[in-house]
Amino acid sequence: MRRQEDKGRSQEVQLLLAERPRNRFVRGSLYLLLALIMVSWTFGDLQVDELFSTHRLRNLNRFLSEVRPFPLHGKEWDWGVALSWAQEIFKREGLEATLSTLGISVVAILLAGFFGSLMALPAARNLACSEPFLPEIRPPPLRARVFYALLAPVTRFALILLRAIPEYIWAFILLAVMGPSAWPAIVALAIHNTGILGRLQAETVENVNPNPLSALRGLGGKRSQLAAVGLLPLLLPRGLLYLFYRWETCVREATVLGMLGFSSLGFWITDARARLQYDRFLFFVLLGAAVVLIGDFISAFLRRIVRKA
Amino acid sequence: MILCLMIAFVWAYSHLGLRGEDLHPSSGGLKVLGEFAARALTPALTSEADFVPEGTRPLLYIALSSARTTLFFAAAGMSLGLFLGIVLGFFSSTSWWAGDFGGVRRSSPSRILGRVLFPVLYGGSRVIINLMRSTHEVLWAVLFLTAFGLSNTAAVLAIAIPYGGTLAKIFSEMVDETTREPAHALRGAGASGLQTYSFALVPQALPDMIGYSFYRFECALRSSAILGFFGFPTLGLFIRQSFSSLNYGEVWTFLYVLLGMVLIFDWWSGAVRRRLAP
Repeated sequence: MRRQEDKGRSQEVQLLLAERPRNRFVRGSLYLLLALIMVSWTFGDLQVDELFSTHRLRNLNRFLSEVRPFPLHGKEWDWGVALSWAQEIFKREGLEATLSTLGISVVAILLAGFFGSLMALPAARNLACSEPFLPEIRPPPLRARVFYALLAPVTRFALILLRAIPEYIWAFILLAVMGPSAWPAIVALAIHNTGILGRLQAETVENVNPNPLSALRGLGGKRSQLAAVGLLPLLLPRGLLYLFYRWETCVREATVLGMLGFSSLGFWITDARARLQYDRFLFFVLLGAAVVLIGDFISAFLRRIVRKA
Repeated sequence: MILCLMIAFVWAYSHLGLRGEDLHPSSGGLKVLGEFAARALTPALTSEADFVPEGTRPLLYIALSSARTTLFFAAAGMSLGLFLGIVLGFFSSTSWWAGDFGGVRRSSPSRILGRVLFPVLYGGSRVIINLMRSTHEVLWAVLFLTAFGLSNTAAVLAIAIPYGGTLAKIFSEMVDETTREPAHALRGAGASGLQTYSFALVPQALPDMIGYSFYRFECALRSSAILGFFGFPTLGLFIRQSFSSLNYGEVWTFLYVLLGMVLIFDWWSGAVRRRLAP
């Protein structure tokens, strides 16, 4: 009796196992990814043990000895001296670099937010169609039909192109075009994030509750009026969440983009490295980490406010 | 809120000393832009250098092999990052030890374990995650470059560390957001913390975790290409070289290869996520 019950139960388990949600595509993708990882470790010319060969370790030793703050070279560690050394660098270059890093990220993300929201409208399939939010009564003229059939896919593809090229490459090319100022970094960050925010916003537009918008449209509202009056208040909270979330990444990238020669933290990192002043180099890397942590904290704080409101 | 954002914008704008007219490229810049854009539709298929040393590989071979290196660095870095992310994600998720699990009757040593050890592990792994994440992969790469010298392993580590931190953070958040009933059932049947975590909590979050990993893979590809700008043999190295030798056609060739790879992965990760969505 007991055994039979067990058997029935194991059959149930077998049935559950057989009916578990499976997807051949996902499964194949996972296997493919696994194969790729294995291939990359075997043929990727990665010699892990080589990293610990004698000349590498000699490099590491030299680095570690020179990474001590300059006034303390060859002396006992003294927090007072180290701190006053750090303070001096911070006053001389660090503060200015920190502020301009934050400034670049703020200008860039707000520009990206603005253009991203603008581009989200033609990228949303429910707005960029011949009769948004209402059933079609009569078929629109051919020109309008072709226009609206192309509008959303073309905008979406443009957004993909904007975000497929990394910020660093945008900035690298723009630097040659615009000359040295903070603009290339800002524009590069803004372009990449416009691509990302535009897509996220377009998805929010597509998932919006259509009823108020249908009513507005039924009263004869134009698309621009729908967007300004109906969509904006519905999108704002989520848009702000995305904005702050991307701002975190912007701060990270703004630090790094300075390496191309803008006055953010990255500039001082490359500068110190080029002068072989490893102590200053490490100081600026750590300062960058601190700035990113502060940025994360501010962003989390602002997102909490938005979520509560 | 909007007002604050506007004030922030104005402050940042004035602090950076930005001027609208600087946004317009100079005449020299316009020339570069024109020459660069003119080659967009005619990427180079052979090397454009005036002097090609004997034994140089053909351009397309360089493009494809650097694309391969880019892909391999991304995959290797991502695999290490996934490992770090899974291990640290376990320690930095609270759902397998905190909350109502304290109420289960336990012997005193394990109660001490639950009260002291797990919170300490949790805090420690949170700190580690944030330290890993706070430094950009490029900075990790430069740090390793300065400490060890040029080495492919350094590039992989540079990708793995920040990605591991991010994956751990996201994984733990995804796991902590799942419903707790299955975990309570397993816990009541006597399962350990690790068993509860891996058989009751993770399976619910697994689709999200897989989808997110695919997305991060796409990001890793971009990061890996960027690392080339610092001397690693990925696409960035050749983009930089060709651009500074004014061989814009070659730049476009490399850009198209990169763009193609990223677009394929964009489609792939999107397709996987669509199929995983409930």
